[in-house]
Amino acid sequence: MIVLGIEGTAWNLSASLVDDDEVLCEASSAYIPALGGIHPREAAQHVANNIAGVIRQVLSSTDPRLIEGVAFSQGPGLGPCLRIVGTAARALSLRLGVPLVGVNHCIAHIEVGRWKTNLVDPIVLYVSGANSQVLSYRHQRYRILGETLDIGIGNCLDKFARSAGLPHPGGPKVERLAQESRDYLPMPYVVKGMDFSFSGIVTAATEALKSASLEDICYSFQETAFSMLVEVSERALSQMDKSDLLLAGGVGANKRLQEMLSVMCAQRGARFFAPKSEYLQDNGAMIAYTGLLMLRHGIQTPIASSGANPSFRPDEVEVLWIETH
Amino acid sequence: MDRDALEVVTGAEAVVTLRGHSVVKQRVPKDYRIAELDTKLRRERTRLEAKIQSDARRAGVPTPIIEAVNGFSITMERIDGPPVHSVMNEAVAEDVGAVLCALHSAGIVHGDPTTRNMIFSAGRVYLIDFGLSSYDRSLEARGVDVHVFFQTLEATDDRFPALKDAFLSGYARNCSGAALILEKVNEIKERGRYL
Repeated sequence: MIVLGIEGTAWNLSASLVDDDEVLCEASSAYIPALGGIHPREAAQHVANNIAGVIRQVLSSTDPRLIEGVAFSQGPGLGPCLRIVGTAARALSLRLGVPLVGVNHCIAHIEVGRWKTNLVDPIVLYVSGANSQVLSYRHQRYRILGETLDIGIGNCLDKFARSAGLPHPGGPKVERLAQESRDYLPMPYVVKGMDFSFSGIVTAATEALKSASLEDICYSFQETAFSMLVEVSERALSQMDKSDLLLAGGVGANKRLQEMLSVMCAQRGARFFAPKSEYLQDNGAMIAYTGLLMLRHGIQTPIASSGANPSFRPDEVEVLWIETH
Repeated sequence: MDRDALEVVTGAEAVVTLRGHSVVKQRVPKDYRIAELDTKLRRERTRLEAKIQSDARRAGVPTPIIEAVNGFSITMERIDGPPVHSVMNEAVAEDVGAVLCALHSAGIVHGDPTTRNMIFSAGRVYLIDFGLSSYDRSLEARGVDVHVFFQTLEATDDRFPALKDAFLSGYARNCSGAALILEKVNEIKERGRYL
């Protein structure tokens, strides 16, 4: 089965064709803000201007008659972007005469990770700009064991980076600067069970800009925030009695975060997996592949319920494609 | 089972050793964290845990008696019984509600009130592991506590809706202002959402 998928929730517009075994092709167009962070209207404008191009590119790589389904990111994400992606997907599904399937963006991050690492039933740490969650599959749902009580880790990094005058996206710049320091400044460490909070770190780090070096702040910021994420991942492994950890989402590309998670897993005899960065960041293949899994299990999205869902939660999705025994 | 046997349980952050009638909880170093942060967290959590646990007990909340505190380890009374998650039913959920409410009324939030951090012994629900607890009288902090409990219950037990109702009636039994808590919990849950 070949499925075409379109991702466009925030910064990376991407279309892809996949079959059961591999990604056949992918075309992407990233929105890079001229100044500041992601502006929802400009991001939507970027999607509108480029969506025909990326779709045309993937369509030209194959005979369109071989495509058996059209998948699209239905949420969570920026409403104005999601609406354009949905419109394009509906049009394409009608034109090709194949089923439409709306995909949850968070689930897609998890599924592409499971696909690329061959994991069956891991604890998932999902970290991106707007989302930070620890999830575990149970009885046909991904259950959210813990999550941020305020902002996502990527958002937290970007917010601080903007106050420090670093260009968007801030995460990779903070990561690079952090490598230049070994002087730790205490920052708010807030873990409540498996939930956590990042807003205090942004405030503390922004305040520290008046008195400390940027390198020391970036180092302390990462060590504190990432330790919180690793701690809750470990608690989830312990609580759910699982022994595999999967990292998902764009912030997962951070090498220090990967290192810390892998040390934690080694210390408790668990296994740590992260797919390549192209599958950690937002990508069309993850939408296409999750759409393929859904279609294979009889799930389609009728036009009437294909509207954008900006606050779509992963635990709203019935997951029929995992066999844990 | 021989009560003098030395048994070891490795949790997410500590090694728990049973020594006769006592339990020793030792916070072990975590290699993933830088030493400064690791030492600081372990020391603070050990000290605070012992203090809050004593205060909770003084306020009438069933918890083990603290016998000694030493660096990164706490020695406390051993409570015999199964973890609450293995005996969970509506009556137990209601007791959990009453116990958590008593704790909150004493100005303490537990911080990690999962069903694994509760022991069912002699017909009572004992709270253990005060490692993430704090002194906090705010509705916000209490709401997060209840939210954490609901999350672990929802993720691990299919009878969640009935157990949640039972918990809330137990919570309301001796507490004023209990009506506000559910509203707060829903608000906290919504806040975690992508918007």
